Amino acid sequence: MSGLDAIVLERVSKHFKKRSKRNEMTTLKSEVVRILKGQRKVVEPAQHIEALKGVDLRVPRGATMGIVGRNGSGKSTLLKLVTGIYAPTSGTVAVNGRISALLELGAGFHPDFTGRENILINGIILGMSRAEVKERVAEIVDFAELGDFIDEPVRTYSSGMFMRLAFSVATHVDPDILIIDEILSVGDEHFQRKSSAKMNEFRQSGKTILFVTHDLSRIETWCDSAVWIDGGRTRMVGDPRQVVTAYRQAVSAAEAEGERLGHSALSTPGLALPQVSAPPVEAVAPAVQLVDVRLRDGLGAHPSAFSAEGALEVLVDVQLAAAARCDVSVEVATVAGVSLFKTQFAAGELGGGAHTLRLSLPRLGLGEGAHVVTATAWSGALPPQAQSKTLVVAPHPSAFGLLRPEHAWSLEPRGDIAPAPAPRAPEATA
Amino acid sequence: MFRNLLELYQYRALLWALSMRELKARYRASVLGFLWTFLNPTLSMAVYGLVFGFIMSSSQERYPFYLLSGLLPWICFSTSVLGGTTSISDRKDLLTKVRFPAQVLPAYVVLTNVLNLVFSLPLLFLLAAVYGDAPSWHVVLVPVLLALQSLFTLAVTYLLSALNVAFRDLQHIIANVMQLAFFLTPVLWPLKDLDGKRFGLELSGAELQQLVVLLNPMAALTEAWRDVLFRHQTPAWQPLAGVVAVTFVVLWFSAAVFERRREEFAELV
Repeated sequence: MSGLDAIVLERVSKHFKKRSKRNEMTTLKSEVVRILKGQRKVVEPAQHIEALKGVDLRVPRGATMGIVGRNGSGKSTLLKLVTGIYAPTSGTVAVNGRISALLELGAGFHPDFTGRENILINGIILGMSRAEVKERVAEIVDFAELGDFIDEPVRTYSSGMFMRLAFSVATHVDPDILIIDEILSVGDEHFQRKSSAKMNEFRQSGKTILFVTHDLSRIETWCDSAVWIDGGRTRMVGDPRQVVTAYRQAVSAAEAEGERLGHSALSTPGLALPQVSAPPVEAVAPAVQLVDVRLRDGLGAHPSAFSAEGALEVLVDVQLAAAARCDVSVEVATVAGVSLFKTQFAAGELGGGAHTLRLSLPRLGLGEGAHVVTATAWSGALPPQAQSKTLVVAPHPSAFGLLRPEHAWSLEPRGDIAPAPAPRAPEATA
Repeated sequence: MFRNLLELYQYRALLWALSMRELKARYRASVLGFLWTFLNPTLSMAVYGLVFGFIMSSSQERYPFYLLSGLLPWICFSTSVLGGTTSISDRKDLLTKVRFPAQVLPAYVVLTNVLNLVFSLPLLFLLAAVYGDAPSWHVVLVPVLLALQSLFTLAVTYLLSALNVAFRDLQHIIANVMQLAFFLTPVLWPLKDLDGKRFGLELSGAELQQLVVLLNPMAALTEAWRDVLFRHQTPAWQPLAGVVAVTFVVLWFSAAVFERRREEFAELV
């Protein structure tokens, strides 16, 4: 193993024995009935579920790698193999460093014991020594912010409080490698921010992180690389933005297929998504090739979070093989897929070569959080090409919701119901 | 086998923490709390004493004292085996969510019950005092017997806990087998009363007694406990040597089975 890799998987397969045939468990009764009927025992070829089918993966030391994929595609099995909970059926799993897995929070918590008592046992279960736990108890208690509840039995906790305590213990293990399965959305708004900050601290201190999430914007903003597991195989490894884009395209394609045929790969858990018809390279070369989508603020910078009050420029880079008509659209949607705004532009006849189409919004006007910006380019009736980018809008102390239109507050004199005055200058704070 | 025990030693902090918690948890929600450590065996002794000592009038003198000196080790063994059998199959939460050394589970059940035995020994000395009996120097052998019984129990529990993961019927079978084993072990009845003639065997009483002790390691251990705590004499070394031999064979076999099966625990629980 190279000293630079924290985790190396080589041709890793994992099969699970299927324990029962459909609707037919082997019970004593069924066995007796079978013997009475004089039937031979049906020797069937062993039934297996192939959760992983030969996965190769390297996670460099200090890197943050995100795993995307559908439910049942093998992501969690992969994490359990890396953690050592499962042994691979074939292939090798090599791990270089102390590992801490946040697959489920609160392993071994006992309801009758106080939060403080559970910290000790949970810490030891997670791999700390007794002395290490004792040393960090104060820190863990501080982080969980449970107040006097820390000395109450855990069974009296709300589920949010339970998760906060569990998360606090799990993140104070101080591992070299952190394995996380969909648990970052723990607790209330405030605690989520705290846990995000804690994760950032892990990344900055050079720990290796491997995590599964369905929050694709987090993969794009946090990860150094991403891997897409599909039907038990690695479908794509590389730049998180590219992987997420490809994954989104495949899901949309499967949904479109589902609409057309009434069923799709999406209706069977774990089935691989259909191949997205890659741009037909030679036969029907697309007249318009969508090269890149770039998001800029008014100053030409690419901030990690945009201000709602500032400008947004969407630059769509296209490449035309020859002179052709070109149409472009840009859509802004929530991560959940609710369309907020879509605009279309007919650029008309463009000459061959590279072109950039620019969409300018002088004021962004969106609420805080992650949004998905999708640009689509096409020519005439030929199939369109699309690319998505995540747009993160910075929070604002006094405005909420999906949108933030220009607005102003004022105090009106009593009884004076005059028509509203002309709006004042928009809020300068952002 | 040695690797398994060595690993257990490496996880001693976990083992200890789990046992301590189990001991505290056992009586935490109850009003009498830790007193149940003494009350439970006392009440069992009262029940068996009533039936076998009083109603059936056992030939054994100082029957309650005799009974308790065998009952305490037996309770330790039987609760360990019964709890240990399901110790792995019941802990899905630990085995599938964190990397957890499975052999700690049966081991901590055994350790918890052995500690419980230690805590309940004062009860026996109290009862002895009631009969005007004081512990003799033989109590220095208590740790030796504790160690022997712990290892033997651990060996049995390893095997059963590993098999119960794939074959859950075992836990019900074991519950009944343990009841039979209780009556086949000289806890309630004095071993010296055993006579081959009554069973139509061509064996003298002493020979049959030797056979029982040879075939049932718990009988050998029970007799040794009685020697130390009740009769104030040094236990015969031959039956104990037999227990040591059986323990090593069973432990070797159990550890081998355990090692072969441990990879499937996380998938089957």
